[in-house]
Amino acid sequence: MPRPANTGSRIRERRIALGRKQVAVAEAAGISPSYLNLIEHDRRAIGGRLLLRLAAALDAEPAALSGEGDSTLAQAVAAAGAAQGLDPQADADAFARTNPEWARMVAAQAETIAAQARTIDALSDRLTHDPSLAEAMHELLSTVSVVRSTAAILAQTPEIDANWLRRFHANLDQDSRRLAQGAEAVVALFDRQAARGDRPLLAVEGAARFLDATGHRFEALERDGAATIPMLTAEIADPSVQTLVAATLRADAADAERLPRHLVEAANGPDDLLGAARGDMALVLRRLGLVDPGRGLVICDAAGAVLRRKPVAGFPLPLVGAGCPLWTIYTALAQPGRPLSERLETPDGAIWRAHSVALPETPATFDAPPVLRATMLLTRADRTGTGPAGNRVAVGPGCRTCPRAECPARREPSILSFDT
Amino acid sequence: MNDPSTQPRRPRVLLIEDEPNIATAIVFLLQREGWQVSTHSDGVTALDAVARHAPDVVVLDVMLPGRSGFDILAALRGGERADLPVLMLTAKGQTKDRERAAALGVNRFMTKPFANRELIDAVRALLAEAPA
Repeated sequence: MPRPANTGSRIRERRIALGRKQVAVAEAAGISPSYLNLIEHDRRAIGGRLLLRLAAALDAEPAALSGEGDSTLAQAVAAAGAAQGLDPQADADAFARTNPEWARMVAAQAETIAAQARTIDALSDRLTHDPSLAEAMHELLSTVSVVRSTAAILAQTPEIDANWLRRFHANLDQDSRRLAQGAEAVVALFDRQAARGDRPLLAVEGAARFLDATGHRFEALERDGAATIPMLTAEIADPSVQTLVAATLRADAADAERLPRHLVEAANGPDDLLGAARGDMALVLRRLGLVDPGRGLVICDAAGAVLRRKPVAGFPLPLVGAGCPLWTIYTALAQPGRPLSERLETPDGAIWRAHSVALPETPATFDAPPVLRATMLLTRADRTGTGPAGNRVAVGPGCRTCPRAECPARREPSILSFDT
Repeated sequence: MNDPSTQPRRPRVLLIEDEPNIATAIVFLLQREGWQVSTHSDGVTALDAVARHAPDVVVLDVMLPGRSGFDILAALRGGERADLPVLMLTAKGQTKDRERAAALGVNRFMTKPFANRELIDAVRALLAEAPA
């Protein structure tokens, strides 16, 4: 069973208290430093055996790291009782002491109830005031409208001209897909808002929304370079979002100068561009991902935090936060410098080719490890030719919105409807 | 051969909707009723389309590129076709949108998704109300 979300914080605190480096603890526990970093930031849930190894490496009791020995259990039970109108002092200590499992469940349920209440409040407010949610719902309802009207026409009209029939069938096919994507988008939006509560939007989310709205394509930037950035970002009201987008576009402009679009558009795949990019595979993947509307792109740092994501139809990507731990991009982080190519299968059964590479952003010195950045290019497998059949990795968009109930890499429950 | 001048003019409906698939369904439904249907998808030039097609009824989406259906309705009510019957369609069924449309003088307001029969009945009612 995955440990509570703050297990990583306890591990980090313990390691720092011992004055030990991540590298040393990771080595003692038999994992990579980057993976330990993810654990310490609660970006990876850890199972029993790994917890035991880390506890041994840190000379600590596993329960102390997992929080199961937390002395605040009685207070949590008392608070849960108080929320239900009980006397806060009424036997909470004795209950927690004599029935610790039940006490933990009561505390956890109280926490869940409180979190759900906050979520409901936040969502109710957002439904009224959040333009993103309103837009997502508008899209969804518009698509439902098409499906409903078209289906009714087909069902209730005995004879329809063949041309109309073809159009209606095509529209139904198109809109049923759109409906599924719209539903996913709304679920993801609810997810983000639930996670965010009442806090304001993050700049990174605002930047991602802006870039998504443009399809990550800027003709002026390709044609005239970084000089066009003030014009391209002028409409962004939030200064922090504007700054973030401008920085992203500066990097894009530098990439475009190094690997011009006409070369990218003429290429069939990454290998075709490696020479023109002077061996910089990350540059090749970035340019292919951004220039070709049919490809997706993810860039993350060594902690797994997504720095840039360009979604592509059929492969949804979380707006903020980490993605699926089984994505090739995270495998690449463990093998810096080595380009990887894997077949990924999304929950809808579609097969994708993922090209990934992790490369240093800064030179390695004796005093500091290089700063790694990993890049993943996503291409529908049917566009890359048949190729070797090989294995495929079952991946998802990220745990929170992934329907794979039995995934061994799951770090948190999905908000989609299945029992976990 | 029939003389066109002796036949009653078919009612003209202008559909201003940017979503092509819903426009396809609506065009089919309205044409099946025997009405002459024109379509337009851009908010900025919607008033030009009204002038060009001279419709008896306008079916107007709220969310349009360039200019909202509310703005177009307001401009219509302040122009030469101030009494042109307008049915507004929107996926935003919020009370404030209904109130805004009503304040601007909309004749009917319908939220998506709608029943086909409901749409046809609404347009038929507006054609009956249309100025001769």
